[in-house]
Amino acid sequence: MNLRIQQHHIIHKMAAREPSRYLAKALPRAFAPSARPQAFIGRRNASDEAPTRRLSDELETSSSLTSKVSDSAAESFDPVSRASARRSQLPRSRYQFRSPKYDRGPLHPHQPPAPSDPSSRLFVPGPFSLPRTEQTYNATVASDIMTLCYVHTPPGFKPPVKAPRLREWDDSSPYHKNRPLRGPRGGDVLRLLRKPIRFNNIPKIERITVHSYVKQAAQENSSWIHVAGIAIQAISNVRVETFKSKSAVATWSIAPGRDTVAVKAELQGETMHHFLGKLIDVVLPRMKDWQGIKGSSGDSSGNITFGLEPEHVALFPEIEVNYDMYPPKMIPGCHITLHTTAKADKDARLLLSAMGVPFYGKIVQ
Amino acid sequence: MSSGSNGARRITSLLRPSKLDSGVCRSCQETLGRRSYASAATATVTETPTDAPTTSTTTPPFPYTINAGVVLSRPPQVTRDLEPFEKAFHFYQKRLNERLALPFTKYFYFKRGTPADEDWKKKIQERRTPARDIGKYNAYDSDSWNDELLLGAKEAEPEHQVEMLVQDAESTANATSQDTSKKEEIPRPHSRVTEADKKGDHKSLNRLLSRTLYLLVQSKEGHWKFPSMPVEAEETLRQAADRTLYQTAGANMNTWMVGFHPSGHHVYKNRKTHVDKATGAENHGEKTFFLKSRIMAGQADLSANKDLKDFKWLSKEEIASYVLPQYYSYVKNMLADR
Repeated sequence: MNLRIQQHHIIHKMAAREPSRYLAKALPRAFAPSARPQAFIGRRNASDEAPTRRLSDELETSSSLTSKVSDSAAESFDPVSRASARRSQLPRSRYQFRSPKYDRGPLHPHQPPAPSDPSSRLFVPGPFSLPRTEQTYNATVASDIMTLCYVHTPPGFKPPVKAPRLREWDDSSPYHKNRPLRGPRGGDVLRLLRKPIRFNNIPKIERITVHSYVKQAAQENSSWIHVAGIAIQAISNVRVETFKSKSAVATWSIAPGRDTVAVKAELQGETMHHFLGKLIDVVLPRMKDWQGIKGSSGDSSGNITFGLEPEHVALFPEIEVNYDMYPPKMIPGCHITLHTTAKADKDARLLLSAMGVPFYGKIVQ
Repeated sequence: MSSGSNGARRITSLLRPSKLDSGVCRSCQETLGRRSYASAATATVTETPTDAPTTSTTTPPFPYTINAGVVLSRPPQVTRDLEPFEKAFHFYQKRLNERLALPFTKYFYFKRGTPADEDWKKKIQERRTPARDIGKYNAYDSDSWNDELLLGAKEAEPEHQVEMLVQDAESTANATSQDTSKKEEIPRPHSRVTEADKKGDHKSLNRLLSRTLYLLVQSKEGHWKFPSMPVEAEETLRQAADRTLYQTAGANMNTWMVGFHPSGHHVYKNRKTHVDKATGAENHGEKTFFLKSRIMAGQADLSANKDLKDFKWLSKEEIASYVLPQYYSYVKNMLADR
């Protein structure tokens, strides 16, 4: 108590020596324009008058299949018999466009059509459905994450200025001249910048990688890699890529660049959402004694990886339906990486657990 | 005590813009007025013992009642109904895929000579394609250009496709099972339209499965609104929202409050300013801040609440017809489209 009072006295004595210190600091602040407009705000947004947007506003509400046509016209319409009744058939070149096989540059008169054109050689059909997980994300998860991650800053708040991530050299030595900037303190890894989550950067699932490393492909024979490729292709609906080993593993007799030991499938868009749905609704709930993804998993930039044992891969419906056709014991295990647009693992875990992926153990942020 | 610094501080407290800005809430004013650590430490140490004259610095009590509201919602349970265009587009892409994809590798899925193989042969003869949901269509035929549906065709309807898949599974099960006396029954998916939908029961949580439903309550005067109650002294908005939910709709609900921040607000201004005769305090109306909440299980129960008559679970469009237009213009942007 005594000490505190003494302290006050000392501070007051100090303050007495420069009485205008508070005033000098406060005056410019008082006359600075406030960040918030002081006038009455009659809040009227453009969105107030706008009706909610629906897909049917932009598209025809009725398809051609439901439109009213006279019965006689509908019954008499038979494209196949009409085509076969033609006396002379048109040559194929008159009605079928063939995309040039080679791209001969932008100045060539014969240009290939856009890849979205069904006549293009690069055309990939789809989408075939509107996946459940995508709808759940859009309808429920995204808005909840935005509400959860909201951080309130009062109007006029300016966040404290952070030091630059790459540090300058202090020029204490002439050799510092023209050196590249120094990395961050405590290690030279430059972490991703995590910006506050707003409506335009809500984390979402970007792609899923399914990867399987089959060591027996090098030890025994190549049938292991074929079975692994077929199994991964079946569960992911994507053509797999194969990889040779990059590093030597002496105990498994693997030499770099010699043996094809791994397969990988990259899933995006609709395929990815269907895979995620199968994983969440069918496979993960049926895995026995599996607690969830480890809380420490993640590469600290928003990508979460976990592994599945061979018996878990066999739970996928595509493999289960003709399990007998796969050579016993050759069904591979795999690593699944869920790539999200989150910049930190914390946000990625928030997103994935909202989608229904369980986590267990100590959560490492 | 040195009068010089004290006077200066008093002037600064008068001039500080954050205090003058009555539109900024108290906690935000403190955040804005916070100085750097060193000067803040000295300031707090010096300020605590002094009895600063309060007459000049106190602001009048806030002239609005602050309410905490709860937007309790049940998220969609099933996927949405597709627009006719989407159905047609998906179907067209499926047939296109059939024309462009590599042929189905039958030998990988069916061993020769098995009942499953016989069943497969019969079915491929019928529908001309391995896909079970695109109708009768042969993608490798010379007539494969004829891939468009004719008037009144059912093939693009999701209900029809589901029915085809189930029938296919049933016939396969019957053709391959050992026991020929018994007919296999594959369970159909439940209807997307429930009993509550047919009856128009707005109190059931089992209605409008593909939409988000919100809890609305009716006051004694007959106004429909989201549950809300005034925030008490020394209570945070979140605590007030929890209390509101408990006191309004009872304990028989498993709910989850989404975060600590409001996702919307509503301002109601009285026609005439109410003046409290005892204290002279003015009241211009009430401001309600809505916190988002999700219901996982249970049901609302208003029996303990005397101020409310009724409750309903409504979708966004239905809310527009129940609440006042002014109220809806405030709340509509925090409600999900689906």
